[in-house]
Amino acid sequence: MTKPPSLSAPTGLSVRHRWEIGVGVAAALFFLVVFPLLNAHGMVSNFTINLWGKYLCYALLAISVDLLWGYTGLLSLGQALFFSLGGYMGGMYLMRMIGELGQYHKPIPDFLVFLGWTELPRFWEPFTSFPFALTMVFLLPGVLALVFGFLAFRSRIKGVYFSILTQALTYGASLMFFRNDMLMGGNNGFTDFKFVVGYDLRQASTQRGLFIITSAVLLLVYTSLRLLSHTKFGLVQRAIRDGENRVLFSGYATAHFKLFIFVVAALIASVAGALYVPQVGIINPSEMDPRKSLEAVVWCAVGGRGTLIGPILGAIGVNALQSWATVGKTAEYWLVILGSLFVFFVLCLPGGIVSLPAQIAGLWRKLTAKSEPSASEPPAKSS
Amino acid sequence: MDNKYMLTVEDVSKTYDGFKAITNLTFYLFEGELRTVIGPNGAGKSTFFDLITGRAKPDKGKIEFGFNTDLTQLNEYEINRLGIGRKFQTPSVFTEHTVWNNLVLSLRGKRGVFASIFHRLNSTERDQLDDLLKLVRLDGKRDWKAGQLAHGEKQWLEIGMLLAQDPKVLLVDEPAAGMTDEETHRTGELLLSLAGKHSIVVVEHDMTFVKQISNNGQVTVLHQGSVLCEGKFDDVQSNPKVREVYLGRGKTHK
Amino acid sequence: MLSSIRSILSFFVGLAAVTIAAATESPRGIISSAILAEPEARKIELITSLAGESDASIPVLLNAWKADELFLYEAAPGNPVPVQLIGDKDATDTQAALRVANGLPLTSVATGLPLRLIAADLTAVEHTSALRRAMKAVLDLLDLAAPDLTKRLQAIQTIGFAQDVEKIPALEKRLGLETDPKARRALQEALAVTRLKAADPATQLRALAELKELHSLSSYDLIRATMRDAAKAGQPAVAEAARVVLKTIDDHKGTINFFGTIFRGISLGSILLIVAIGLAITFGLMGVINMAHGEMIAIGAYTTYLVENIFGTGITIPCFGFSLAIPGIHATGWFYQSYFLFALPLSFLAAALVGVGLERSVIRFLYRRPLESLLATWGVSLLLQQFLKLMFGSNNVQVSSPVYLSGNWTVNDIIFGWNRVFVIGFAGLIVLGVWLVLTKTSLGLLIRAVMQNRNMASCMGVRTERVNMLTFGLGSGLAGLAGAFISQIGNVGPSLGQNYIVDCFMTVVVGGVGNLFGTVISAFGIGLVDQSLQQILLNPVVGKIVVLVGIILFLQWRPAGIFVTRSRNLDD
Repeated sequence: MTKPPSLSAPTGLSVRHRWEIGVGVAAALFFLVVFPLLNAHGMVSNFTINLWGKYLCYALLAISVDLLWGYTGLLSLGQALFFSLGGYMGGMYLMRMIGELGQYHKPIPDFLVFLGWTELPRFWEPFTSFPFALTMVFLLPGVLALVFGFLAFRSRIKGVYFSILTQALTYGASLMFFRNDMLMGGNNGFTDFKFVVGYDLRQASTQRGLFIITSAVLLLVYTSLRLLSHTKFGLVQRAIRDGENRVLFSGYATAHFKLFIFVVAALIASVAGALYVPQVGIINPSEMDPRKSLEAVVWCAVGGRGTLIGPILGAIGVNALQSWATVGKTAEYWLVILGSLFVFFVLCLPGGIVSLPAQIAGLWRKLTAKSEPSASEPPAKSS
Repeated sequence: MDNKYMLTVEDVSKTYDGFKAITNLTFYLFEGELRTVIGPNGAGKSTFFDLITGRAKPDKGKIEFGFNTDLTQLNEYEINRLGIGRKFQTPSVFTEHTVWNNLVLSLRGKRGVFASIFHRLNSTERDQLDDLLKLVRLDGKRDWKAGQLAHGEKQWLEIGMLLAQDPKVLLVDEPAAGMTDEETHRTGELLLSLAGKHSIVVVEHDMTFVKQISNNGQVTVLHQGSVLCEGKFDDVQSNPKVREVYLGRGKTHK
Repeated sequence: MLSSIRSILSFFVGLAAVTIAAATESPRGIISSAILAEPEARKIELITSLAGESDASIPVLLNAWKADELFLYEAAPGNPVPVQLIGDKDATDTQAALRVANGLPLTSVATGLPLRLIAADLTAVEHTSALRRAMKAVLDLLDLAAPDLTKRLQAIQTIGFAQDVEKIPALEKRLGLETDPKARRALQEALAVTRLKAADPATQLRALAELKELHSLSSYDLIRATMRDAAKAGQPAVAEAARVVLKTIDDHKGTINFFGTIFRGISLGSILLIVAIGLAITFGLMGVINMAHGEMIAIGAYTTYLVENIFGTGITIPCFGFSLAIPGIHATGWFYQSYFLFALPLSFLAAALVGVGLERSVIRFLYRRPLESLLATWGVSLLLQQFLKLMFGSNNVQVSSPVYLSGNWTVNDIIFGWNRVFVIGFAGLIVLGVWLVLTKTSLGLLIRAVMQNRNMASCMGVRTERVNMLTFGLGSGLAGLAGAFISQIGNVGPSLGQNYIVDCFMTVVVGGVGNLFGTVISAFGIGLVDQSLQQILLNPVVGKIVVLVGIILFLQWRPAGIFVTRSRNLDD
């Protein structure tokens, strides 16, 4: 038997690998180059590219959910919080960039004028700097995830308790952001953005640039996580999902691993939020609704959890469906569609869309096996 | 060297919701010793292992590893890293991982988050794992998912995983359960061959197996959370107290 | 001669009027007589006799008198009839005329038709300042004697706050007549507060002593003003006495706040308990994460809404765009008020049925996969929300609560609202009921057997499937009961359940899963902490956030909740 080249890749996967790399490169080229070019030449509308930019942000959010749920068995209902925090940090910078172009023509954001402020509150000041805001996009959600994760994993809160606690955290935060005296825009949040690092957000070229950046970030996250899943870290991660205590008794501090993953997932969600806000043009506390977290979980479930491509497909697919379904008469049935989708995938297709080919292949094998009763079923290869 | 204790358990008690699982238990394990622990159901054998491996904390008493490493202050993974490996009563392997990856995960080495991200198997380690696979006779199934193995094979895989950790102390809980007589015998031989290099505690019900592995070593009988008696297999077997405990339950082993 | 005849005549007329008034005792009659009476002293006497009367016509007529809207109409010479001109003037400046004596339209002797009169043609009834004073005293006392207690209390308070020394006799008079203890107390307070304005320090001191005795909370600011004034006016004795009174009231306030907070905490805890106890069964005992628990609550609330409307005038609901009209039985009085008693079992049944349906169709496939059950039931929760929206419309609806739930019971200034008392009683009953079902019935025995060891129970011949179904039905039904109750304290809307779901899970998790007693303790604990924080922080939202953070920290200390159910399995 030949020695496998890496830890976990047994023989026979290289073909699949090559396929995956091929499709990945093609998709990357399409989103990074072809799609923006088509837009620049007017063959893809600005609306469409903006919409797809939003989908790709959601795909990042879905990946962050899947990294926790599909790979580690931690169902976090707090990803919407990290997504919004990233959005708010970016949003503060964008609010500063409005300058005096607001409705009140004052040097401070409109909602502060409305609340009777004449000067910028102290904590708003540094957000005039782009590098600072960018740092905060990583720092604030990162530190929050670190502290919360440390407390939760230290006391071995897992399973549904973890879900409920993260949901409570998100709920608490949304209550806070709804308050006007938080000075974060209350329930209207931030909107009416004008510029980002000197580029006019209302220009198609700026939106195109943001789309390219989002695609690049998604590619980077996908590739890094793909590599990570093939390391021993990836093995430990999935082992935690399948039997955490066994991992503990094998000498791994599972809490450290979970904390690391929780922070990484929070950062991915936060970056997604920061990219989302300038493209969608608004951020408010309703983004923190625990329901948003659950929606991201639906995307994963529909696409296929425990894979990296699943959440991307799921996020794009479900949101495209939503964009299509919430227009006109069917709008009020959207929740019915979403709810049914969820029940269906959990009950009938837990592997999501990506598991369909394997399911069909399995069916096919069963059908053909009937004609050859002697055929012994070979063990399924792991992936 | 002979008198060096690997494990020191002194006057340990543990109560679960009023139920006394372990009462004033004292137990010493010498370096390189193969010790067999027997006892009727509910004698506290599994709790005894739980206390050593950090799964449960004793209400009172001293548990030390080597000279003076206090195990009661450490948690599961720290105790494992000291070199105390445990095989569970029900085979617990990573069912979604391949046989090979199960061993990779167990292989002795750094266990930190970042170490595991940058860890690559070197050829020595790979050879070591190949040898282990052959030893536990799973070399033909290295790419099978562990969940697809038969019960006995899982037991073997878990033994392999334990060996991959190369621990100083092996705590083995009912290794022969679910194995054929032939496999059981082979397990016994394996354990005997490991003794000397490793210190081993085996909890077992199967008296034939106990007789095989106890060889000339000590057998400890647990009863109601305390040591009933300790001695050579034949002495223990003829001990009237032991006979009473087992016979009193209306059943004797062959 | 003429004048003497006239005065004799008017004397007789007046006498007759008085006699009539005495016979009928109608305030209108008295006012009518007073208008015609001579001399002024007699008028004043008649008006003053109205003091303590509470007839609605008194303020109308007296105010009209003061505003020159009463006139004398001489149907026949020498026989003036007091009339009130009302309504808008028409083109010829005429207005409708009512007889003061009986409030009926003045009719023409000839035609019997209502007469319309021109104000300028008539003599307005005169009023002197002495007369006006008499009227004002009557009017002031009138409100004090209002038959409606709330109105009376309000009048007493208003007069008290005005601190008008001239009102003292009126107040004293009223205190002599008043029988209601609440009103008496208010009168005493009002008198004492008014006497604070008295010039003489001895009266002031007496008033302060009285206020101290009364622990008068409402007079706090006025007493402080008195203290300041007295200090300025160089009366240290009064200032010091006022300070002592303020201190006493502060202490009293502290006591009230303390007990009030405990009471509110217990009632909030009861609400938490009511909404969470169903979850304590489905989640705690069965281990099923039912995210649709909130919608079960909403179903119970809507059931109550329907029952209320059926008892009333009926209702038309959107029902998927088909406008379903449900007839009402037009019940009134106590029968109508009792709708809630009918709504309770129906709410339980409706939610229990939906719960059983949910268990059969979704949850039974997910018993070993808690995370999946969380997700699937969330999907179901979306479906149910949309269903409710399409069935009942997306706007909130209001359920009127029975009269016996409004009002309160004040003990030593601590207000015990009936609805809160009701909550506590309701929670107690539900807990008792659940406890009885679980410990005294065969179903309870089966439930506990299945929850402890599913396989063993199944081996013993227990139909675990059936028990699961019934247990889930019980948990959902309890959520329905909670909904019936929630409908009494707030609006009912399709997303009603979403407001409670996080609180429900928190309560059960903190209590320790699998332990009903833990849920009870945790509900009251969270309720008390929440209310205390609100008292301290004076901000409900911040209080709520602090509670959430507190819960996260609490779970650091006791990760499995207050009461731990231990397991020896490796992966439990």
